[in-house]
Amino acid sequence: MTKLIMVLLLMAVVMSTAAQAASIYAGKAKAAEVCSQCHGVRATSSDAPFPPLAGRDEEYLKMALKQYRDKTRISDIMNNIAGSLTDRDINNIANYYSRLSK
Amino acid sequence: MKKIIIKLNQTILVGVAGLFLLAGNVQAKSDIQKVYENNCASCHGSDHGGYLAPALNSETLKGRSPTALRTLIMTGSFETLMPPFYGRLKDAEIREMVKHLQSTAKQDNPPWTIKDMKASLKVYIKDESTLPSKPTYQIDSMDDLIGVAARGKYGRGKGSKAIFINSKTHKIVGEIETGTAAHIIDFDPANERWAYVKTDTAEVFKVDLYSMKAVRSIKTGFNGPALGVSRDGKYLMAGSFVPHNAIILNSDLEPLKLLELEGVDPDGKKVSSDSGMIIGTPFADIFAIALENAGQVWVVDLKEGFPITKIKNVGRHLHDAFLTHKGQKLMIASYDDSVVIAIDLKTRKIIKKLKAGCVPHVGGGAAVKVNGRTLGFGTNFGTCDNNTVVSVWDLDKMEVVKQIPVSGGTESPAAHANAPYVAVDIITKDRRARTIQLIDKKTLEVVKTLDVGGHAYFPEYSADGKFLYVSAGYAGDEVVVYDSHSLKKVASVQMESPAGIFSRGRVKYMTRGLSPDEME
Repeated sequence: MTKLIMVLLLMAVVMSTAAQAASIYAGKAKAAEVCSQCHGVRATSSDAPFPPLAGRDEEYLKMALKQYRDKTRISDIMNNIAGSLTDRDINNIANYYSRLSK
Repeated sequence: MKKIIIKLNQTILVGVAGLFLLAGNVQAKSDIQKVYENNCASCHGSDHGGYLAPALNSETLKGRSPTALRTLIMTGSFETLMPPFYGRLKDAEIREMVKHLQSTAKQDNPPWTIKDMKASLKVYIKDESTLPSKPTYQIDSMDDLIGVAARGKYGRGKGSKAIFINSKTHKIVGEIETGTAAHIIDFDPANERWAYVKTDTAEVFKVDLYSMKAVRSIKTGFNGPALGVSRDGKYLMAGSFVPHNAIILNSDLEPLKLLELEGVDPDGKKVSSDSGMIIGTPFADIFAIALENAGQVWVVDLKEGFPITKIKNVGRHLHDAFLTHKGQKLMIASYDDSVVIAIDLKTRKIIKKLKAGCVPHVGGGAAVKVNGRTLGFGTNFGTCDNNTVVSVWDLDKMEVVKQIPVSGGTESPAAHANAPYVAVDIITKDRRARTIQLIDKKTLEVVKTLDVGGHAYFPEYSADGKFLYVSAGYAGDEVVVYDSHSLKKVASVQMESPAGIFSRGRVKYMTRGLSPDEME
């Protein structure tokens, strides 16, 4: 019985981490859909007015996206784009871009 | 008298003021047209008639919501080459552009005469004898060079380059800035040191591959990718969509003869035509040029006066082609009647029209020898009527062997005598665009699908056949290299919006897939 509870508990722990962990693959897909058109994958165009995102600090990326979404940081285009992102999207995207080498 | 003078002065004043007003209007109009020319025209056409991208004029944009158009310009269009102009153009400019496009008719062909061309010739290195006598970088053979047309995100600017890679080390050995998107790279078959690059705005650059420097450039028109080099390397021919002409140049890029592309189409109508493919051949001292809208192929003899033989009623909308039989036979795609036409360049007559898929676009073509047969491979843009295939023909018997089902429209096939697969790029605009499909040469069936990422297109084998290069185009910004047998990814080369890939090996095997030793 104790064994079974232990196993169940363990499973619960594993499952909850899985649910919270940001997915680099989901981040890649979302970035391709939403971000890379302007910010590029590893680098943005040498002529583009957009900052590159590859290799940036994960926490910073999350914070910036949430600020754009909440409109505490103002940019007409980013407020619109970030407005469509969920917390999970933001975690995934930040996870993906922060781990890409420049 | 005094009164009159005063009156006169007033008249002059009013007149002058009027002139200023007029000048103001003209100025405003030409300003937005300039913005169009500098940002849009290289893809949408200098005449607003469309080129790589849709036509933008009062007719094509009739009834479209200005707000939607403004958003499209700001954010760009996903799964196409259209970049976001947010931050590059001012909001006021974007708004004015929408108004301008919706009120401007397709323009007449702007003139670009032989005189204009001569005046546009730029010489970067005057004395070619000052150039190094061998490559200034490590390379076993110049055939190992692979050139990539990097478009640059905006189709112009610092990201627009011809990039040359050593296909044994997968390292960049040279970069030539081209100002606007590079489209075609052709190598001189007679002298390994020269290559020619053509941009979407019809500039031709002569490139010294030993020093990796541009030597000269000339503007041959406003838009159009067609470029050919003669077998002796002495002549080039460049053709335009805007305006409707083609120019024969010498290897110093000096214009020799201008051809106005006019002809009678298969319906009997006299038309002025875009320039389709232009090709030089190891078979003879000639160029073949396709008149897209007139449905004609012209064969130009490279001798005194450049006489022309016109082959008429070839097809309804001719585009690109490839060579076979030591360059004697030309296989040319016709968009609108879904055929590929075999032409004998010796007799200068049509041999046969072969069934292709929907909207054939052979993109340089491929030919392989299997079990004693020479098989030609043709890609097809279209996906209509479930007829989504890559066409295979027996090039000796000139008959259809198979229409191989593939997962979407295709643009360009790659093959090599030493590689087991014919690679085709799926271009259908959804997730399939990320993929390349591989056809087994022997079974003529798709045996593998590679997920390259980005918008994967223009596969090309290295000259030794060991590696398969693929552009992960826009949204990918890298060229991905695979081992051509194991299909394992072996390298990635970063660049902005890579498109066409051109191996120097092509001049040896003429058409990709044929043996470099036999040149068949």
